[in-house]
Parts: sequence; C-alpha cells; structure tokens
Amino acid sequence: MASNEFKLVANKLRKRVLEMCFANGGHISTSYSCVEILVALYFAGVMRLDPKEPKLLSRDKFILSKGHGETILYAVLAERGYFPEEWLTTRYRTGDCILGGHVDSKVPGVEVTTGALGHGLGVGCGIALAAKMDGLDTLHYVLMGDAECSEGSIWEAALFASQHKLGNLIAIIDLNGIGSLDYTKNYIALDSMAEKWRAFGWNVLEVDGHNYDQLISALTISRSDINKSPTVVVAKTIKGKGVSAFEDDPVWHVKPVTAEFLELGLKELGK
Amino acid sequence: MYSKFDMRDAFITALYELAKRDSNIIILSNDFGAPALDRFRNDLPKQFINAAISEQNIISTAAGLAKGGKKVVVYSIATFITLRALEQIKIDLCVMNLPVTILSVGTGYAYSTDGPTHHATEDIAVMRAMSGMKIYSPSDANMSAALVETITNLSGPQYIRLDRGKYPIKHAIGNSIKNGFSVWNESSKPKIAIISTGGMFHRALAVSDVLSADGVDSLAIDLYQLKPLQPEVLGQVLKKCKAVVTLEEHTQNGGVGSIVAELIADENLMLPLKRVAIKDEQLYAYGARENLHLDRGLDVGSAVDGVKDFLQKINC
Repeated sequence: MASNEFKLVANKLRKRVLEMCFANGGHISTSYSCVEILVALYFAGVMRLDPKEPKLLSRDKFILSKGHGETILYAVLAERGYFPEEWLTTRYRTGDCILGGHVDSKVPGVEVTTGALGHGLGVGCGIALAAKMDGLDTLHYVLMGDAECSEGSIWEAALFASQHKLGNLIAIIDLNGIGSLDYTKNYIALDSMAEKWRAFGWNVLEVDGHNYDQLISALTISRSDINKSPTVVVAKTIKGKGVSAFEDDPVWHVKPVTAEFLELGLKELGK
Repeated sequence: MYSKFDMRDAFITALYELAKRDSNIIILSNDFGAPALDRFRNDLPKQFINAAISEQNIISTAAGLAKGGKKVVVYSIATFITLRALEQIKIDLCVMNLPVTILSVGTGYAYSTDGPTHHATEDIAVMRAMSGMKIYSPSDANMSAALVETITNLSGPQYIRLDRGKYPIKHAIGNSIKNGFSVWNESSKPKIAIISTGGMFHRALAVSDVLSADGVDSLAIDLYQLKPLQPEVLGQVLKKCKAVVTLEEHTQNGGVGSIVAELIADENLMLPLKRVAIKDEQLYAYGARENLHLDRGLDVGSAVDGVKDFLQKINC
C-alpha cells in the first residue's frame, strides 16, 4: 500500500469513528490522535498478521493499553476483516454489544482486555517474555497514552522489560499532551518523556505520530535480535487530529459528538 | 512425606517435582524467598523469575505469560499481592479468565509483630469478591503439597493462601481435596459445628475437643476450599447440627463467617450462627500472635466460653 493510500484509509477510518461516536458514543479525540499509528501497524505491513487466522502462533500482537480508544481499533479490525463491518453499527455500544466501550479480548483480533489504565505494558511484558522463552520471532506492540504514563504500574513494567531485555516488545506513547480534564503540562510532570524512558533502559525513538515514513521506520523492528533493550516509540501527536474543531482541546476527551459536529466533521474529512 | 515442612515449603517442594517435568511452570516471585525455593532457583533457573517488589506488574506479567501458554505461580506475601494488585487481579486474571496461581504466605496475624501493614486480615473478603477466582486455604503440609496438582490443568485463576509455621499433619497424603472441606470429631447427633480454615482450623479442632469433653457434641469442619463452595454437600452436614460457629483470624467483614452466613441464608438452613472473628474496631494492632488472639477472643479458652454463652442464649 502506497503512502497516499494510507491517507485514504485513515480518512475512511476517521469518518467511520465519527459516525460511531455520533451514534453510540466514544472518545473521539483519543481515537483520532492514534489513527496514523494504527494504520502504520495494520496496513503498512509492519505487523505480521492474518485476519483469517487471528489465533495463529506466528502472529504479532497489539495491545491497546489506552482501552478507551476502542472506537478506532474496532474500525481498524473491521476494515482488516477480523469481523463484519456491520458490527460497527449494530454491535458497538448498543444491544448485545460485543464491541463495548473498552476493548475486550473476546472480540476477534483483540489480544488483551483493557480499559483501566496502566495494565497493557505489564501484560505485554508477559506475552513478550513467553514468546522469548519459546524461541518465537513474534513482535509485541503496546500503545499507551501519555497521560496514562502517570500510572506507577507502567514504570514497574518498564523496569521489568528493561531487565529482561525484551527486544520483542515495542511500546508506543501517543504523546498528545492532553489527559481527561486538562493539558498534562498543567497537572503532572510528564515532560521529557524520551529521557524518562531512556533512563529506564529503553531504546527510544521519537517520531511525528502523524508521519507514515517516520512511524513505519520506527515501528519496523528486527526479529533476529530480540535480546536487546525494548523499544519505545514516542509519537508526538495532536489529540483530535483530523477535524480542526476537535484538535488539541481537552473538552473533546468526553464531549459527545452532536449532529452539528457530525456534519462539520464529515464535511472536513470529505475534502 | 511433607511432615518436616511448613505449608510453604511443602508446596514449593511438590511444585519443584512437577516443574522438573513441565518446563512451562514458571514462578514469579515478589522478591520473596523460602528455604525450598533455593533449590528451585538453583536447579530450574529458567523457570524462576524474581520479578521484584512490583505487585501490580507481577500480576499483569503473569497474565501475559499465561496467554503465552505458561503455567505461572505468583509467589508473594498475602496482604501485598491481594490488596496492592487487586485491579490487576480482577481485570488481567479474572476478566480474561487466565490460569494463574497466586501463592501467598502470611494469612491473618501470621506476621504478628510486623503489624497491620503485614497482616492479611482482609484477603478472603477481597479475593472471594473476584468472579471466577478459586480460593484454597490448606491446614497442613500434606494438603498444601496436594494443591500443586491443581496447576497442571488449571482453567482460570486461583488463590492459595498459606499460614506460616508448622501445624500438625491431619490429612493423609493422597486424600482427595475435591470435597472442599473435611469433618472432624463426627458424632451421630452433634449439637454444633465449628468451622474454620487454614492454620486456624487446628484452633477450631481444639475448641471442638474441649466442648466435646464437656459434653457438648461438636463437629470441627476444615473449610479448606473457600470458593467455590459445595453448598448442598456442606449444607447436608450443617443440617445435622443445631447451631454453627465460625472461628477465623480475619476481619468479621467478608471472611469465613460471612461465607457461612450466606450459605445458611441461601440454602435456607435456618440455623443460629455465631461468628468469632476480628471485630472491625480491633483489626489494626501490633503484638505477638498469641497476645493478639487473647485480646480478640480467638484463643481456645475464650472461644469455648463464647460458644457456651451462645448456646445458652439460643437455649440450645
């Protein structure tokens, strides 16, 4: 898939997420900040996966530790064919919603149930360590929010991964600078994110989280040398990226998408 | 065979034998040791990880290892692993129903003079609130070792809580642990059943012995599997009695007394119940274990007197 096609896919996914959030809710700006990251992982050949065989032993694994970004992940998985696209309208946050408000490992293509923050990296450590013990060459990606990095459990996991040289573990920080209520700079010392991870013994790569070339390059990790330090990709992003009304404004973490913003968003994305 | 060990070393010794044959068995230690663990670490270094003082990450990592097909035993002090990592236990183990064994040491006031920070006086309450969590609380070294068998074909999370110190061996090797409880001092027409778990079962047995010698026929029940219960089977035993007493080294909120109260209600047994436990206002304290027991009425003499008063009150 060429770079311009990634943009088309991203655009399609953003429209779908907008419609899903309008219909049944969701964290729109959280999903929008990581669209390019997920497109790079799922559509650019970075991850080794086969939607027809979601339990294949040789598959790479993705954990959405910021589980409230479920809307974009479900849109991605449907687009890749893990489950019928109609689930996004009939089974997302409605009825017998198999696609609930946070990601659930019962959904085809989802590896780990998340929702409470700060769990994904630790579970990723265990999955990566088990693969290493068994001599598998699989890679394991964990996407976290920057505000999520306030959780102490993440730093416990960071120490563990570093100690055990989990070179098959790749953390991605969606560095959008906004938590649930406010800009992170106003309430918690999460600046110098790269230095923090470097101090914990990780191989740190800093990228523009909306630039495919940079993302694909950083996320493409060697499978032959997994006894090195784990890698963290610190991806600078804009929360709500793609629809200017949603961009870089804390209020959109929880604000419902009304008909007015649905129309506005579709119009801008339809350009 | 395990009589020379305490419950902890008995379990780890049996686990060592199993782990020698099954390389998927992994111990994650919360920077916590044991004499029997030294041999495990030395002989099976690839199956032992000191995962440091990081309870939350240990549970999450255990979940990930289980997803990768490993049979993980998390080894920690009871109060630390159950309270510090409770959300990880709920979400990473219970919601995803992963086969992980939490092996904890130091139930109740076992770490007596170390104080409330080290007392596991709430672990039953919180762990039995976790959906799908099995809970075992053995009372001697043989039973503790026998629980290792559960690891081989585990289908979901389990919590095994061990008291410290040596207790008399009451259960023969090879005895089934499938019933979930054992009955002692059986008689044809018991007046009362005294139910306890773990090391405190021996206290319940001593109370039963004294009562029976004083003419009050009493059963002692070792409730070594706290969850799931076999309510109908246990209910059939209790129905033979006129009253029930629970005795435990745990807060009165949510422990064995609560389990039995719920059983009596749910099975419509209509039996008077006395709960001897740590009262809410008496929970946090320092002291030698026997002093703590005396102050809280958990010693044999106080428990016997309490049972007799109770029987008088209910005209039994």
